[in-house]
Amino acid sequence: MAATTASPPKGGFGYRHPRARLAALLAAPMTWLVVVYLGSLAALFLTAFWTVDGFTSAIVRTFTFDNFIEVFTTPAYLQTMLRTLGIAIAVTIVCLVLAIPVAYFMARVARPRWQPLLVAMILTPLWASYLVKVYAWRAMLTPENGVIAWFASPFGLGGPGFGEVGIIITLTYLWLPYMILPVYAGFIRLPNSMLDASADLGAKGWRTFRSVIIPMIFPSVVAGSIFTFSLSLGDYITAQIVGGKVIMLGNVVQQNYVTNLPFAAAFATIPVVIVLMYLAIVRRSGALENL
Amino acid sequence: MSTAIRLTGLRKTFGDVVAVDSVDLEVADGEFLTLLGPSGSGKTTVLRMVAGFEQPTAGAIELAGVDVTGTPPYNRDVNTVFQDYALFPHMNVLDNVEYGLRVKKVPKAERRSRAQEALDAVRLGDYGERKPSQLSGGQRQRVALARALVNKPRVLLLDEPLGALDLKLREQMQVELKELQREVGITFVFVTHDQEEALTMSDRIAVFDAGRIAQIGTPTEIYEHPKTAFVAGFVGVSNLLEAGAAATILGREGTWSVRPEKIRVMLGEASAEGNERAAAGTIHEVVYVGMATRFFVDLDAGGTLIAVQQNSHATSADVNAMRGQRVTLLWNTENEIHVGS
Amino acid sequence: MQKTQLLKMLAVGGAAALALAACGGGSDSGSGGAPDVPMYEGPVGDGEGQLNILAWPGYAEDGSTDPAADWITPFEEQTGCQVNVKVFGTSDEAVKLMQGGGWDVVSASGDATLRLIYGSNVQPVNTDLTPNYADIFPDLKMQSHNSVNGVAYGMPHGRGANLLVWNKDVVGETADSWSIMFEPDSPAAGGVGPYDSPIYIADAAVYLMATQPDLGIKDPYSLDQTQFDAAIALLKEQKALVSEYWSDYNKQIEAITNGTMTGATSWQVLVNYYPENIGSTKAKEGATGWSDTWMIAKDTPNINCSYKWLDWIASPAINQQATAWFGEAPSNVKACDIDPQQCTDYHAGETAYWENVYYWNTPTEVCLDGRTDVKCVPYSEWSKAWSELRS
Ligand SMILES: Nc1ncnc2c1ncn2[C@@H]1O[C@H](COP(=O)(O)OP(=O)(O)OP(=O)(O)O)[C@@H](O)[C@H]1O
Ligand SMILES: [Mg+2]
Repeated sequence: MAATTASPPKGGFGYRHPRARLAALLAAPMTWLVVVYLGSLAALFLTAFWTVDGFTSAIVRTFTFDNFIEVFTTPAYLQTMLRTLGIAIAVTIVCLVLAIPVAYFMARVARPRWQPLLVAMILTPLWASYLVKVYAWRAMLTPENGVIAWFASPFGLGGPGFGEVGIIITLTYLWLPYMILPVYAGFIRLPNSMLDASADLGAKGWRTFRSVIIPMIFPSVVAGSIFTFSLSLGDYITAQIVGGKVIMLGNVVQQNYVTNLPFAAAFATIPVVIVLMYLAIVRRSGALENL
Repeated sequence: MSTAIRLTGLRKTFGDVVAVDSVDLEVADGEFLTLLGPSGSGKTTVLRMVAGFEQPTAGAIELAGVDVTGTPPYNRDVNTVFQDYALFPHMNVLDNVEYGLRVKKVPKAERRSRAQEALDAVRLGDYGERKPSQLSGGQRQRVALARALVNKPRVLLLDEPLGALDLKLREQMQVELKELQREVGITFVFVTHDQEEALTMSDRIAVFDAGRIAQIGTPTEIYEHPKTAFVAGFVGVSNLLEAGAAATILGREGTWSVRPEKIRVMLGEASAEGNERAAAGTIHEVVYVGMATRFFVDLDAGGTLIAVQQNSHATSADVNAMRGQRVTLLWNTENEIHVGS
Repeated sequence: MQKTQLLKMLAVGGAAALALAACGGGSDSGSGGAPDVPMYEGPVGDGEGQLNILAWPGYAEDGSTDPAADWITPFEEQTGCQVNVKVFGTSDEAVKLMQGGGWDVVSASGDATLRLIYGSNVQPVNTDLTPNYADIFPDLKMQSHNSVNGVAYGMPHGRGANLLVWNKDVVGETADSWSIMFEPDSPAAGGVGPYDSPIYIADAAVYLMATQPDLGIKDPYSLDQTQFDAAIALLKEQKALVSEYWSDYNKQIEAITNGTMTGATSWQVLVNYYPENIGSTKAKEGATGWSDTWMIAKDTPNINCSYKWLDWIASPAINQQATAWFGEAPSNVKACDIDPQQCTDYHAGETAYWENVYYWNTPTEVCLDGRTDVKCVPYSEWSKAWSELRS
């Protein structure tokens, strides 16, 4: 049997060098990932340590922590950061509360032949222009004669008007499909036998929902929340249109990226860090492994 | 002995498909009943109706004398071992087994000890901390069993629980399962489409054919006295003597069957003695299967019979040499089973 | 007559302003010293066959927005210079693009011109080579935003003032002062709409020139630290009165017409859309405004086409067409012979009207008003202060 053990495996290059083949396969996407994706992030981060010529706004490559110090010591900026974080969390929670019943209905209650139609309905708003949608919400939210205010006035209530609440409502509308779709997919993937098994063991609907359904779709919920959270964190146009006086992190970046790119870069690293922290927390919970 | 399950006129349709049709069945307390039948014959559907996952289109289900036809699954004293086990992937083994007790608000200490007991019973006492994904197929099957048994249900429903296991493990589990059932004394309704499994494990077997029960009886009754050609064919090998051959050889009307192991193969000419019957023919195929050999004999009177002979002395070379030889088949007339007119 | 066209164009501009441009690398310039870029001697010969234009929306139209608005096709036919236009949304974006290179001419507002000049991104313009320069309104020539040390850096295009608008139902029939946007007891409190840009700090400075003469502000774009702080303090107080800051024209049109914005800064071109109950005027304190200038890139390989374009855009008919399309006062005197109504509407020839209009300019550390004993706050600080104010 010595002959068989000693004989080299047959096959082409890739077979003999599985690592080399893997490398060849991954070369293009990895280059893209490293150079374009991580490269630009690194460039952003590096830029944050430079400064600008106060007059021409040209970048001066002298190393300084001033941008970060300014970002983290100016109370107004900290306030904007916290506000943005709060908005992103609120949007994610509202999306979650809305998405779970909707996705549950689509996946488990509606007849299977309606499902494609329902998915299409959820996707439809994504085909409309972002700006059109935000402006539509502006019309809805306008104080006194906006649609919401109009409906609320007979009850002696005012509309939410422009501001944090308006931003949260609008962002929720914008990003809701990104929460519904993964949660819907999670419900679809959930084997029927899991629900049968739970009922079989004596659990009623609510108990099954709490102990089986929610834990099993948790990874999908996390996936959706990564979308809603990071999209909200980076948004600035919605705040411009329905924020009234309120601005978000992205607005500060947008206002400064031309006149003071390093400062804008320092500011822009904040949402990146927050999202990374969020991913780290999520990872600890183990949800990413099942994604 | 009282009745654990009584099904009367049970019927289930899915659109145009009649999955189960007028099934009447009584299962005694502590009985091991097997539902046997080909794929699509309605076994699972019956089981699901008993468990409460499916509502019958017509008919009634009684558990221990109480009509539960409209009762939801969580209020039936019945537990199920699913074909795919349906273990909760996000819970460890112990939590899976405890689930039913937790739902019923059994105090924690008792819960723990009962779950541990159930796991010990299926010899997985040390596996409580593992996730289902970290277990082998056989281990998962046993966890599913423990999860159901821990609730001490009146009736345990098992839907092809051994289907996913390899032959060795399967045979081992058949024995274990049967022993367990004897110990705990719970009524088992067991679904399989493996006739051997049905024959070895059951107190009684219900053979399903296209949504109906074709025959119900003890393994011996089913095997030795199949009432229809379908049952004869599905349980064991269908060795049929159709009208022409039956008339020539047996001198009787109708379709008859003789089990292969009841037939002796004699080389050359031989004559019947006493209550024996003889039929001449030619061996056209020989299949050596280790402990026995299967001979496919073309009868002069028409048709083919299979005969199985122990390989007490013969080798595969010996039996292979017999292909094409003239033989006489002999069997006892009492082994002739009437399976159709 | 051009209202729909204008709205279309404004929408395009708005969208462009919202789009995030790619971040270019910085140049190493920025010494801040006097520029030493040579002026082209002439003569203007045959075109090089190509011209790359960087323009405000509506400044370089080829008929694709509206077939009637096309002053590029005839230019191409006459000169053989094939035109390639890129539209920008903000002055800051224009500066960034010019720093990146590849463009021959740019329509720069006053808050971009000096940055371009001192950044050595543009070259002086030899006005002898552009006959139409002679017909430019005198008060647009050799201004602090388009010349340095008596050397011209471009061809004026058009100008406008930022107007005070108010809702008559809320504020009253008449108003003449920015006070309705700044004073706590203003009837417009809760409905104030400032322009959302660092350059709006100058509007506060204009108001302070009138209300706090002790500060000694002469030019709203030349603020020393004390003056600057006073302007920021005023803006912080104003924040309590604000309903919305606007930088998107559509947003203002909507908020003003439906009555949620009751006192705001606006533009003539927007005022044209407003209903009867909206009043507008140039406030008595004076106003900020813009005056745009066509400039030539320092390293342009298409110098002849560039000069031909500057002369073309300043010619009476084209200048009239382009400024009417955008909604501002033309820069060429003779343009008013073609459409006197436009010149009346936009106060083109009224020298007195423009006297207290402070064209957008780029604040620099070296004070633009000539003071040498103090340092002024540069634009990058304005920008940061604005972000902080808005946060
Ligand atoms: N939910 C359903 N919808 C429609 N038809 C169904 C449904 N469930 C079962 N059927 C049909 O009912 C018939 C009986 O199915 P059932 O699952 O009971 O068969 P089975 O005997 O368990 O078969 P197998 O051995 O393959 O599991 C089949 O024809 C099947 O296609
Ligand atoms: Mg089945």
